Amino acid sequence: MAKSRSTQSRDPNKRVRPASWQIFMVSFFLLYMLVPIISTYVFSVATRWDRTILPEGYTLEFYKRAFAASYFTITLRNSLILSLATILVSLLVIVPTVYWVHTRLVGAKPLLDILMILPFGIPMVVLALALVQVYNFPPLARSPTLLIGAVVIYSMPFMYRPVSNAIQAVDAQVLTEAGQSLGANVFQVLYRIIIPNILPGILSGSLLVFSTVFAEYTLTSLIVGAKFKTFPLLLVEFTRINGNVASAFSVISFTIAWLVSILILWVGSMGNTKRTKTIRAR
Amino acid sequence: MAYLELKNVNKYYAGVAAVHDFSLDIEKGSLVSFLGPSGCGKTTTLRMIAGFEQLDSGTIRLDGNDIVPVPPNRRDIGMVFQSYALFPNMTVRENVAFGLEMKKTPKAEIKKHVDNVLEMVRLQDTAKRFPHQLSGGQQQRIALARALAVQPRVLLLDEPLSALDAEVRVVLRGEIRRIQSELAITTVYVTHDQEEALSISDKVVVMNKGLIEQVGAPEEIYRAPNTRFVATFIGTANQFLGKTSGKNMVVCNNVELFTNSLTDFKTDQPVVVLVRPENIQVQAEQSRQKGWNSIHGEVETITFHGAITRLGVNVNGQRVVADITVANTQPVSLNQKLWLQFPPEACQVMVVEE
Repeated sequence: MAKSRSTQSRDPNKRVRPASWQIFMVSFFLLYMLVPIISTYVFSVATRWDRTILPEGYTLEFYKRAFAASYFTITLRNSLILSLATILVSLLVIVPTVYWVHTRLVGAKPLLDILMILPFGIPMVVLALALVQVYNFPPLARSPTLLIGAVVIYSMPFMYRPVSNAIQAVDAQVLTEAGQSLGANVFQVLYRIIIPNILPGILSGSLLVFSTVFAEYTLTSLIVGAKFKTFPLLLVEFTRINGNVASAFSVISFTIAWLVSILILWVGSMGNTKRTKTIRAR
Repeated sequence: MAYLELKNVNKYYAGVAAVHDFSLDIEKGSLVSFLGPSGCGKTTTLRMIAGFEQLDSGTIRLDGNDIVPVPPNRRDIGMVFQSYALFPNMTVRENVAFGLEMKKTPKAEIKKHVDNVLEMVRLQDTAKRFPHQLSGGQQQRIALARALAVQPRVLLLDEPLSALDAEVRVVLRGEIRRIQSELAITTVYVTHDQEEALSISDKVVVMNKGLIEQVGAPEEIYRAPNTRFVATFIGTANQFLGKTSGKNMVVCNNVELFTNSLTDFKTDQPVVVLVRPENIQVQAEQSRQKGWNSIHGEVETITFHGAITRLGVNVNGQRVVADITVANTQPVSLNQKLWLQFPPEACQVMVVEE
C-alpha cells in the first residue's frame, strides 16, 4: 500500500494497477459476502428455481403471503422492543461502568476486559437453560424481562468494546478533572462532557447490539418460545413451510436492520452537523 | 496568616512517601512555583490542593478554612493541565463559559465575562472555533482563560508549557505572569524547568524525593542554595570534594581552595565546595588578585552557547567548567593551558553526609 501511495504522489495522473492477487482477494471477499444476500433477494421473488441457473419466473406472491402472515406485525414489534430495550439497558449499565473504571478504578480495567470476553465463551444454549432454571419463579420465569436480561449479557461485548475505546481515546480522566475544577459534579461531567465526546462509540455499539439482537434466535426460542414470538422465530417457522416466504422474511429483516442503522447514524450525525455549521458560520 | 496553607502534608503510594511532611505558606496574590525532577512529588502536591488526590495526613487551609473534606468541584480552585484538557465537543466560547454555566451565572453576564477573559489572553477572534482548530499555544491560552473565567480563589498550573515549542513557551510564560499580576490571583505553578520557575515566580519551592529542599525567592535559590541538590539542580555548579583545613581553606584531592570563614565547620570535616561557572575568570597568565583562588588547567572542550562560551577545563584530572563571554576574554583554543581564578566568596561550602 505504502509503495503505491508514494508512486501516486510522484505522478498523480498515473493510476497504479493493483496486483492480480489483490484483485482476486477483493473479488473473492465481495462474492463471499454478496452471493448469499443476492440469492436470498432473488429467491424471494422467484417462481421456480431448481432446474435453471436463473429463476424461471418472478412474482411478488411470497411478499403478499409474508405480510399476510398472522404474526407478522406482532413479531416485528416484539423484535424491535427486544432490540431497543437491550440497547437501553446495556447503555445504562456499560457507559457509567466503563467511565467509572477508566477514571477511578484503572486497576480493574484488565478484569473488566476479560469479563467482557466471557459471553463469547458461554454457549448460548447453556446460558439460556441455566437462566431458565435459576429464575424459575414468577414474574421472571420465562418472561420477556428475563429474555432482555439474557440478551443484554450476550450482546454486552458489542457495546463494551466501542464505548471503552472511545473513552480511552478522549482521556476521560483529565476531562473529568477539568470539568470538576470548573465546578461540575459527576452527572454534569458525564452529560455535558464525556457522553458528547464518546457519542460515536455509543452509536457504533448500539448498531452492533441492534443487528445482533434483531436476528437473535437461540435465547428467544429457549427462554420464552411462543409466548413472545420475535421475527427470527417466525422466519425459522416459515423455512419449514415455504422457503420462498422465508426468504421474503429475510429480505424484510435485512431492510429493517439497514433502515434502523441509517436512522441511528443519522441521529448521531446531527451532533456533528451542528458542529460543522458553527465552523462554517465563521 | 497565609492565604493558602499546607501543613505536614503526607502522601504515600504503596507505602512509599510521594510527599513527605510538606508544609508551606502561600501569600495571597503571589505566584509560587514547585520545581523539581519528575517524581519529586510536585504534581501530587498540586493535585492534593485541587482535591484530585486524598491526603494521608496533614491539613490544607484556604483563607482559614480546611478544604481537605471539600470535593474538587466546590473548592473554587481553577486548574490548567499539561494536556490543555479543553472539551473537544465545545467551541472556545462554550469551553470558557462552561464554569460560569455551572455556577448558574445569567446569560448576559456570561457573555461579558467570556469576552473579557478572551481579550485578556488575546484570542477574541477564536471564540467560534473548536479546540482542534487551534495551535497548542492557543489551546493553552484558552485553557487559562477557561480557568480564570470563574474567578477562582487559587489558580493551579500543572506543567502548562511542557507540551509546547521552546519559543511559544517563553512568550506564554510571560503572558501567564502578566495576567497573574494583573488579576493578583494566588497561583501555584508546577514545572521541572528551572529557567521557567526562576523567571516568573515570587517564590520557588525546590522539591526532591517528596521533600522540600528549599523555599525562597528565585535569586536566593540561585545565589544561596541550601543543599547540594539545589545547587546542582538549579544552574550548573562545579563540585570539589575535600576536607576543611584551617580557618578558610579546603583541601581537595587535586586543588586547595580559599573560602570564606569556615568557623561553622570542624577541622578535617568532609565538605563539598560549589563554584558556579560564571563566577570563574579565565586568564592566560597568572595575575593573582589578593586572596583569590587560582588554579591551572588545560582546555578540553569548548561549547558555544551564544551569549556565553562554556569551557571544560582539566584540572589535575577533574573537569571544571567555566563560562566566558566574547566581550571580556581573549579567544581560547583547545589544549590551551590557562588559569582559572575566582574569589573566596564564589565558593560555597557544604557538609557532605557520609
